[in-house]
Amino acid sequence: MSRKLTACLFAAALPFGANAAPESYTIDPYHTVPYWETDHLGFATMRGRFEKPTGKFTIDTAAKTGTLEIVIETKTLSTGDPDRDGRPRTRDEHLRTPDFFNVAEFPTMTYKATSLRFKGDDPEVIEGDLTLLGVTKPVPLRILRWKCGPDPRTQGKRYQCGGNATGVFKRSDFGMKFGIGPIGDEVTLWMSFYGFRQ
Amino acid sequence: MRTKLGACLLAAALPFAAGAAPETYTIDPHHTFPHFELDHLGYSWIRGRFDRTAGRFTLDPAARTGTVELVIQTASVTTGDSERGERPRARDEHLRTPDFFNVAEFPSMTFRGSAATWRDDAPAVIDGQLTLLGVTRPLALTVTQWKCGPDPRTQGKRYMCGGVFTGSFMRSDFGMKFGVGPVSDEVKLWIGMEAFRN
Repeated sequence: MSRKLTACLFAAALPFGANAAPESYTIDPYHTVPYWETDHLGFATMRGRFEKPTGKFTIDTAAKTGTLEIVIETKTLSTGDPDRDGRPRTRDEHLRTPDFFNVAEFPTMTYKATSLRFKGDDPEVIEGDLTLLGVTKPVPLRILRWKCGPDPRTQGKRYQCGGNATGVFKRSDFGMKFGIGPIGDEVTLWMSFYGFRQ
Repeated sequence: MRTKLGACLLAAALPFAAGAAPETYTIDPHHTFPHFELDHLGYSWIRGRFDRTAGRFTLDPAARTGTVELVIQTASVTTGDSERGERPRARDEHLRTPDFFNVAEFPSMTFRGSAATWRDDAPAVIDGQLTLLGVTRPLALTVTQWKCGPDPRTQGKRYMCGGVFTGSFMRSDFGMKFGVGPVSDEVKLWIGMEAFRN
């Protein structure tokens, strides 16, 4: 009887235990799109983005802890300027040179969280390090939106978390100094992100 | 003497008169990019961009008048998901179908408007009409950034204006109803633009 009760309690406790443990998520590359924004000549703001990042995160909402790692292929950068139209090179080609992202030498940039700050049950700030051009510096990301739940596209069979995050850094801190002045030093990051629970 | 004075006054007045007349500008397609954002599943804002935009505007800050015309090629829509992988189609392909932009039938969307309010020498709000999927509806764009001056890339030989416009509309108003619910009806627009004086 006592053994049965213990087994029963254990079974009842399992779902809670499973929720409280860190859960692992794989980044959805089709809906995780990092954009950047920088000043252009003091006249306008120009945007660009990276495509199909990979990565994973874990989150433990009970313990209010988590990890995050995103890997971005620098050559996927895109600013909407793919065709030369008579010019010696496109902007996207220029951005891939050592003047900017130096994609031949640094094919990836990465973001790795060191800690999460929570507001209630939701993560609010990601403290972490950006590695760009081989230089690693802290860049906190503020979470603008965050939601977890069953993915309606799979009739709820898949569980997902998604949202938006933003952060700011100076590119000169990472050694990207070309054109500072005409082109802003300050870079604003903005991304949509999704992760599917494994 | 009288004639000379008259001629002199006329000559002196000319530069001002020339400056005060409406000036015409041509959109720089390499620095003009309309972006849009939609809510995705209630989890995240997802962003996209049009890569090919042409257009022109007139500006007369003294008279506080101005007009703008932007012609956006709908087939140039990109969201960072252009390759199918193992899926039947990429998101960018889907966006070009009759479910969304129907680019075969409606190769361009246009915005035509005129400056409605000013803040000092800068237009503040542009009242206009957006034509999307052959449907024309009013759309107001807010000018969140604006500057005109000599282009520093040409040692000032070329005169330019640049800025950022924002606005929002309901896509169902234009008949784009696919997926309204999971994907929001509201579309937020953000247009970074630059233009050269003719």
